[in-house]
Amino acid sequence: MGSQATALRHELRDLVKQHVPKDFLGAFTDDPNDLATAQQFCRLLAEQGLLCMSWPTEYGGRGSSPWEQTVVREEMWAHHEPRGAQYMGVNWVGPTLMRHGTPQQQAEHLPQIASGEVIWCQGFSEPEAGSDLASLRTNATRDGDGWRINGQKIWTSYATMAQWIFLLARTTKTGEPLFSDPGKTATKKQQGLTIFLVPMSDPAITVRPIRAMLGPHHLNEVFFDDLRVTEADVLGTVDDGWSIVGDVLSFERVGIARYARCDRLLRLAPTVLGERWAQVPDELTGRWTRMLTHCRRAQLMAYRIVAMQSSGRVSPKDSAGYRIAVTKLDQDSAEVLMELAAYLGDSEDDALLRAEIEDHWRYSQASTVSSGSIEMQRILLSRNMLTAK
Amino acid sequence: MNIELSEEAVEYGHQASRAFEAAGGDELVQKAQDAPDTRAALITPILDELGALDLEPRADADQLEAAAALCRSAGYWALPYPVAERLCRTTDLESDGLVVVTEHPKAPLGGLTDRWTAVDVDGRRSIATPGASGTAFVADLQLQPIDGDGTKDLALALALPMWTLLGMLDRALDLAVAHVSIRKQFGQTLSGFQSVQFQLTDGEVERSGLEMLARHTLWSIATDREAAIDDALALRMAALEAAEVVFRVTHQLHGASGFCDETTLSWLSRYSQPLRRLPLGLSATHALLTRRIGTAGLAPLS
Repeated sequence: MGSQATALRHELRDLVKQHVPKDFLGAFTDDPNDLATAQQFCRLLAEQGLLCMSWPTEYGGRGSSPWEQTVVREEMWAHHEPRGAQYMGVNWVGPTLMRHGTPQQQAEHLPQIASGEVIWCQGFSEPEAGSDLASLRTNATRDGDGWRINGQKIWTSYATMAQWIFLLARTTKTGEPLFSDPGKTATKKQQGLTIFLVPMSDPAITVRPIRAMLGPHHLNEVFFDDLRVTEADVLGTVDDGWSIVGDVLSFERVGIARYARCDRLLRLAPTVLGERWAQVPDELTGRWTRMLTHCRRAQLMAYRIVAMQSSGRVSPKDSAGYRIAVTKLDQDSAEVLMELAAYLGDSEDDALLRAEIEDHWRYSQASTVSSGSIEMQRILLSRNMLTAK
Repeated sequence: MNIELSEEAVEYGHQASRAFEAAGGDELVQKAQDAPDTRAALITPILDELGALDLEPRADADQLEAAAALCRSAGYWALPYPVAERLCRTTDLESDGLVVVTEHPKAPLGGLTDRWTAVDVDGRRSIATPGASGTAFVADLQLQPIDGDGTKDLALALALPMWTLLGMLDRALDLAVAHVSIRKQFGQTLSGFQSVQFQLTDGEVERSGLEMLARHTLWSIATDREAAIDDALALRMAALEAAEVVFRVTHQLHGASGFCDETTLSWLSRYSQPLRRLPLGLSATHALLTRRIGTAGLAPLS
């Protein structure tokens, strides 16, 4: 971090203050104004070159340092992600397309993401394939010069508002010859999977929202009923989608800067409470201090990964450890904040903070499950510890 | 902000670790326990060969990082000598070392005859004379007040011993990994059980998070950050929490053998106690940091 990053932080805070309502709690509420706010804010960021700043200039970015992108990540998450679902396009859809997309795919999709005009969703999890993703059952069967897809995805965030889905489906079953190399058969379930880039407007796709404590538009089921796609919709090589999944996960190594919202809300609490802070029991103020320290710890662990990524030395051990620490922080700090909320009254500032805290608590409950369960991170970390010796 | 240790510092730490191992490794603490009065003679020749006591961590960032790496290696071998406390010595007093004390001054200085200085959390400095050596070399200190100019000494004196503790946690986890990788139950090594694997991750997350805070605190001290004392207290708080988790996990995974003196963990665990309880235990560290930061919270990282 340096003076450029600090200036950027202030610039982003000013933009949020000017363009995002004080009671904004994310784009996924029943109020359509919230989605409109996010869409407008994304366009504003794009116009100012702030949406995809770390992307190379040829793809519409600024070629900024990963540290500046980290600041964007932190400030956006701290303020309830006013980019809405766009962070996915910026963080991993775009970079994955840069690495694996055809020139046509890049020309079609990257400018749209860079301009903040398009929302993507991720079609990975299925009812029978969560952490064990390679067991998925959505299948793509050969149909002339294209493919016909049938199956179901679940827990798909943003599916009701997305224009595109990054869809993982099985093209070859274990034991069958691989399309990419007909002389060989698929011997592992990780083989025979393919990524398709599919418009959500296709009538063969049905989305069913799942009402949940996280908010009304977070989780969805997505059904594919004889969805017809072509070779041009394949990302990378047929049957080799698992390697792209690996890249998606590596682009998401740092993931959401959850510590940034925890830290902001923890710091806000004594400001809003004012003199009432003196009524807070010592035991609770001690826990508040502890959470601030844990925020710092998670932030430093994230910075370690950013530094390693910058120098090409990414360690799965570090990223898994960070994910475990930051998701625990999310939940632990939510508990402390909920206790502090008991001292809030009825003023406008009190009500705003209470709403933020309640939203944070609800959302934090999913943090150890979403984007891959924390148990998978524990398995990854422990394997690394045991094999390193 | 810098959260990396220089390659030179890391290499110096490795050299120190090899030297401690060659000089007796785990046996050093066992010998010293039998004769606390001889521990200076046992350890200082090794430190002299490394040029360790010539390091001036208050002089520049390079020497500070080298001192931190050295303390970590000392912790790894539970070295029976207050290396961190020696390196924290004040530069404006005739002193061989510095310890932080509270109103009941104690420190693991038993059996040592050097000129010790004590500083309390309000910056009051004293000449400290250790009494008889007790458990884990802890001795009561007799204090003779000097001045109130010790605030500048405090951050380093709080932070550097936490690098020693970090080294102890490194070792405890290494020992646990080695143990669960060979010990068999129900026909398979303990490492094959997911409950065992997950306990290891509990320890490692704490250890790796502590390491990052420890690095940040070095930077804070090296750059004379205004919040350096708070940063050092936050480090101490995280270190004590991490030690609680790591030693609980590593003892559990060692089973009964972890309590036996034939097992290194047993020595490491008991000799971690002075670092974890003195000058302030976890609750007292919480309370002090909470009082110091008030409603402002910890200073932002950058």
